[in-house]
Amino acid sequence: MRRPRAERTQSLCRGPTGWLEEIGLAWLTLASCLGLYLRILGGRDHLDVPAFAAALRQTGLSVLPATTLVALALGLILGSQAESVFEDLDLPRLPVLALGVSVVLELVPILVGILVAGRAGVALAVRQAGLTVSGEMDGLIVSGVDPVRFTLGPVLLAMLLMSFALTVWVGLTTCTALATWLWARVGVPPALFVDALQQSVDLADLFEALAKPLIFAVAIALIASVCGLPAGRDPDGLGRAATRTVIGAVTAILLTDLIFVLLR
Amino acid sequence: MDAAVEIEGVFQHVAGRCALDGVTLGVARGEWLLLIGPNGAGKTLLTRLILGLDAPSAGTVRVLGRTLSGLGAGAMGRWRGEVGAVLQGGSLLAGLTVLDNLLLPLRGTGATRAEMARAARLAVTQLQLEGLEGERPRGLSLGQRRRVELARALIHRPSLLVWDGLTEGLDPAGVRETLDLLRQQHANRGLTLIATDNRPAELLASGARVAVLDRGRLLFDGSPAALEQAAAGRLELRYVLAGHP
Repeated sequence: MRRPRAERTQSLCRGPTGWLEEIGLAWLTLASCLGLYLRILGGRDHLDVPAFAAALRQTGLSVLPATTLVALALGLILGSQAESVFEDLDLPRLPVLALGVSVVLELVPILVGILVAGRAGVALAVRQAGLTVSGEMDGLIVSGVDPVRFTLGPVLLAMLLMSFALTVWVGLTTCTALATWLWARVGVPPALFVDALQQSVDLADLFEALAKPLIFAVAIALIASVCGLPAGRDPDGLGRAATRTVIGAVTAILLTDLIFVLLR
Repeated sequence: MDAAVEIEGVFQHVAGRCALDGVTLGVARGEWLLLIGPNGAGKTLLTRLILGLDAPSAGTVRVLGRTLSGLGAGAMGRWRGEVGAVLQGGSLLAGLTVLDNLLLPLRGTGATRAEMARAARLAVTQLQLEGLEGERPRGLSLGQRRRVELARALIHRPSLLVWDGLTEGLDPAGVRETLDLLRQQHANRGLTLIATDNRPAELLASGARVAVLDRGRLLFDGSPAALEQAAAGRLELRYVLAGHP
């Protein structure tokens, strides 16, 4: 005999069966979204442009000031930390080489991933949970509208685009702040900084640095949906969905990054 | 009987409680069924099963010739195109305008813009929603929201309408007008209607077949006249008909 829905929903939070259900739901969610994009490409469906524009604003533009500030702060902190190394070593190129790899390959993608998870991921999970709590999700279903495509379709696309854009922006801002600090405090010329950066980060590294945030974005979107869609009619589900999304997304970002490091 | 809905031996457990207890019920195509019972009788649960929003703990639910639990996404999508629903408590999308809510069932059906506009105009006129097309649901009265939900449920011309909480948010005149509209739909294209309510006195005159549900069990299934006769000898039916919550 099948268990009631409420019990099944609760079981998502615990045990190996819950994990399997979550993975299954994530896979169905991804398949549904890819199906939507294929239909759009084939001219059989259309993108919800207002929802896409709202998601772009929410994912990217609304976090741009905070992101810029964080990127500047990161560059200055790293510059300050590197200063002592420059004082001990008379090899200015060496710390820049190490910093270049750390900033471009690790710090920037992880930072962008966490910012996207905290803003867009949580917003997506709360929206999906909110639709379930208010009964609007049922309204979508009985109207023949796939709730995953309706809620996630435009948001995932926006998350992918803005993750790419934010990675470029945060990378440039952090490197500029870092280079400026080193020039002003230690006297490392910007030309030397750029030269060392080019030497430490090759094309494959750059590709990896740009691809990682996109993979993070997909993971964040799927985790948000897995936490938001089965939230149930209990208003507490909103808070649970948000908390689980942040924890799950940050964990997934770090584990995915670890896999990249081990495979390198 | 050419059945629109066949429910056989359905059990539904909610939070460890048996909320539907072996319900068996059939509705023929074009028939109207009024499902009445007090709060907590299981009416909403039963309508959710008919609409495929939940799966039963045990038993089978066949709607318009299809067993819902076995349907894939594509078949389910086509099936949804034949069913309209008005849900208890409201299910309009708060972030969309009335017009966008109305057009939801036509999304992805291949309907052209002109066809969608024509269908929306007809629905707006039929349900007296003129001037509200650009409003958000939170700016509407409960009665207006229910009319928008009904318009959305009918805009794709379903063959089955499931309406949970028929009189919710409607005054007696609104109930009469709504029933007149549904009669018109029935006369024009044989709409099957399953409606639930807990205020039977206002609805028994509609002439629909009546099923009485109480604490998850089906107490009665027959005509309003037969219900009156049966109630004379059964205290539990009299209690439900008196409209006790």
